[in-house]
Amino acid sequence: MIEIKNVTKKYGNNVALKDVSFNVNDGEIFAFIGHNGAGKTTLIKAIVGIHKFDEGDILINGKSIKSEPVECKKEMAFVPDNPELYEQMKAIDFINFICDIYEVPQDVREKNIKKYAKMFEIEDKLNDTIESFSHGMKQKIALISALAHDPKILIMDEPFVGLDPKAVFDVKEIMNEMIKEGKIIFFSTHILDVAEKLCSRVAIIKRGELVKVGNMQEIKGDKSLEKVFLELEGE
Amino acid sequence: MKRFFSLIKASMTEGMNLFKISTKKNSKFTKIGLPIFLSLVLMGIMYLYADAMMEQFAPVNMHFVVLTLFIILTSVMTVIEGIYKSGSLLFNCKDDNLLLSLPIKRSTVLFIRVFKFYVFELIYNSVFLLPSMIVYAEYVKPGIVYYIVSIVGLIIFPIIPILISCIIGTIITFFASKFKGKNFVQTVITVILLLGVMFFSYNSDNLLANLAKNASSINDFITKLYYPAGAYIELITKFNAIKFIEFIGINLGLFIITIFIIGRVYFNINSSVKSIKRSKSNKNYKIKTLTPMRALIKKEFNRFINSPVFVTNAGFGLVLFIIGCILISIKFNNISDMFTQKNINISLEMITSHLPTLFMGFICFTSFMTSITSSMISIEGKSFSILKSLPIKPCKIIKAKVLTALLIMLPCILIGDMVVFITFKFDLLSIVLILVASVLLPLIAETIGIIINLKYPRMDAKNDTEVVKQSMSSTISVFIGMVMIGITIFLLYKALEAGISNIAIMLIFIGIYAVIYFGLEVFLHKTGDKSFENIIV
Repeated sequence: MIEIKNVTKKYGNNVALKDVSFNVNDGEIFAFIGHNGAGKTTLIKAIVGIHKFDEGDILINGKSIKSEPVECKKEMAFVPDNPELYEQMKAIDFINFICDIYEVPQDVREKNIKKYAKMFEIEDKLNDTIESFSHGMKQKIALISALAHDPKILIMDEPFVGLDPKAVFDVKEIMNEMIKEGKIIFFSTHILDVAEKLCSRVAIIKRGELVKVGNMQEIKGDKSLEKVFLELEGE
Repeated sequence: MKRFFSLIKASMTEGMNLFKISTKKNSKFTKIGLPIFLSLVLMGIMYLYADAMMEQFAPVNMHFVVLTLFIILTSVMTVIEGIYKSGSLLFNCKDDNLLLSLPIKRSTVLFIRVFKFYVFELIYNSVFLLPSMIVYAEYVKPGIVYYIVSIVGLIIFPIIPILISCIIGTIITFFASKFKGKNFVQTVITVILLLGVMFFSYNSDNLLANLAKNASSINDFITKLYYPAGAYIELITKFNAIKFIEFIGINLGLFIITIFIIGRVYFNINSSVKSIKRSKSNKNYKIKTLTPMRALIKKEFNRFINSPVFVTNAGFGLVLFIIGCILISIKFNNISDMFTQKNINISLEMITSHLPTLFMGFICFTSFMTSITSSMISIEGKSFSILKSLPIKPCKIIKAKVLTALLIMLPCILIGDMVVFITFKFDLLSIVLILVASVLLPLIAETIGIIINLKYPRMDAKNDTEVVKQSMSSTISVFIGMVMIGITIFLLYKALEAGISNIAIMLIFIGIYAVIYFGLEVFLHKTGDKSFENIIV
């Protein structure tokens, strides 16, 4: 479970997140939506321990990211929106590096790397350096390295950007598979159709403040998520 | 024209953010005051140096020799540095796609790249040249013409050195781009070339003698040796308006012609650099398990060896250390002659009997001039967020960076040690103490480097050169290194003069260094994690 408790983050005088609170439960696919610059990436980076925040706390399965960051990070995997990977590394070396840090046993990593590399049709590219890859291929490498250590919580920032249709389908399948095992998927997206079809719960953020959070059906009612979102943004 | 100046302005705003510091609290001092302070200190040192030289040349009315030496040395330094900078400043820049998609001529893009390079070198050259020009003015009390010619000279002097380094950098990049491991090839060619330049300088006595023989006057000799220096000296001593215009015209003309020539091949080479040679379809990849620490060290090492400017900057000093050790061993008499000249109060006997102590000074010099860790945080760039998201304590990441730097440095230093030990047959205790210093000194230098880089990271650099050569962190690190070397050599000299025994001096210095290291380690332990977490990407 992810518990976000009254999180406030400031950049100088600019308030990027203002008293944001909500929970993400086990077995949920949770969409986090908002305009550009609304604070989605800031919150995601705070959850995964990249950004510090000024007030509040974030608990990962009961542990605080502030006081026990390493323990929290062990439970999570993060896929950034713009995969700034180690360009000079071979793809396989990068994936291995992430697995080494997570101390993934040899048999588990072999099974997972082979499974996801085959799924994303990138097996024959793993010996190439990452600098030779397109954005989509880098995104696939980031996904494989995130999934290779069987995380309990998968956090993704705009995971579908740059992926080909087949890969988008595969990612959705993986997400569905993971929640069946009681894991958590938390992701930000601008593709509201995908969020609407895939997610059980949603949070909408506007200028750093949470304007709606709850069950997808409750939030959108008879309307589409896109319409609800645009109405909220217009207010 | 307005569009052109907008581009220059945008490029400069981005690229000239030399001392941009992305820590949380940016005081005005660290943003503006510290770079100015460091430049002034360096200029002060250059001033003292120029003044000391002028004292020697003023009695024989040859004041201009000081200016000539400063111009030539600065130009040689610019060429040497420029050779390994130009590759990454001109090619495969992160803003290539943006600039090349704009409705501007491609030659304009090249011009902007070279111009940015020029402005950097203009600043660096000014720090070295301006003090000598001030000293000259103080001694000679020249007229207004001197000041006009000198200002124009300051602007013009970096042109030829950067053009030479751009041409050489382009040729190296062109050859390297033909290979799959182009970064490695580029590094090897650059190091070989730089060693070649040094070898040529070392063996240039015949050439200089020949030039001197055929030169009708000293100034003629200087002009033949290096035209801009000769022309400048002639202008400040005997001004001639036509020659002044000729001086400006030749330099600007060379600039335009060189840009034109490089422009003919620049975009083909740049495309070639960008095109990645992929390996053949191969599903046989290796999945290997390492401990987190070994994985971090492997990652750091991979980053290091794939950056030509990083390797050249660090590796050059280490290769020179080994060459220096070999030279000490085979040409001991020639080198000791340099120190036993009448102006320096050191005797050959003193050098021979205190060789272990002096050698420790050499290790100190190499260690503090080879700061690898001062760029290791900044070189992560945007990918730093990967490290921050991983389940590993920052102190381990920091430790891995220091260990990697040591793994790069130690083999070279130990090779040098062995060469000297075998040649000079030091006693066992001296050998043990030198070995301790060989580990301790790089450890201190690299710990200082990482502390500085954590304090002054530069995470938005456009290329590795901006990190390794043009960042606040690397500048401060070099500065502290110079201070440490200066203090060590001064104290060693004083201790030798006082007649303290070799072993006692080495023991005292190792003791002091051990205390310094302990202090640095405690400081890093207390502040390292916090500084790491405060870095915003």
